[in-house]
Amino acid sequence: MSATGGGGLSAEIVFGLRAWEEEVERYHPFSPPRARAQNARKMIEAGKQGLAWINCKPDGPVPLRGCRKLYVPLGKQAPSEAPYGFVFLLVQHKDGSLAWSFIAFGERHPSNPKTRNVYERAYKRINGHYPG
Amino acid sequence: MGPPPAELPLNAMAVSVPKLTVGELVEVDGRRYEVVPTRDGELTLEPPITPMDELHAIDGTKPASAEDFERLSGDVPYDDEG
Repeated sequence: MSATGGGGLSAEIVFGLRAWEEEVERYHPFSPPRARAQNARKMIEAGKQGLAWINCKPDGPVPLRGCRKLYVPLGKQAPSEAPYGFVFLLVQHKDGSLAWSFIAFGERHPSNPKTRNVYERAYKRINGHYPG
Repeated sequence: MGPPPAELPLNAMAVSVPKLTVGELVEVDGRRYEVVPTRDGELTLEPPITPMDELHAIDGTKPASAEDFERLSGDVPYDDEG
């Protein structure tokens, strides 16, 4: 599966093993978030559904430069219907090709104030520490 | 009557407590955890998040340029969160 941008430029979507283990498999095997992430990944990789990409903010409270996101379950927008999110970072391979690399999965608005949201997790993966 | 119990040295009961700082990794029962700060300034342990630099090294990638991001995402919307 790839995502095409303006000018016909495209980038494949990549789910790396390490990031998937750390982000999705931290949840119990039969938990709703893990099941929803697995289902969303299958749909993305099948390439049968248009993806409602949204750019991450490069200058928000949790700045995520070079990132895009998808809400999970796919096709939903409101946090009540799509409580989770995938974050992807644009990376470049040695051959010059581009890819959207999966870097974070989690709750968009955790009800537990101690839980880090998906954007904070993405920030930590990029910067090595949580924001603030 | 057996021999009197040997006297324990005074420091025999002392427990060695490792000193940890933010970002350090520890292993508990075979699982790795990282020391991270909480929002309220305390410290806690959570499963580590491998930094992107390390994933780039594993995958043979590097960050894409801002120009490439703009070319691919210039027409993609933003919203009010994250």
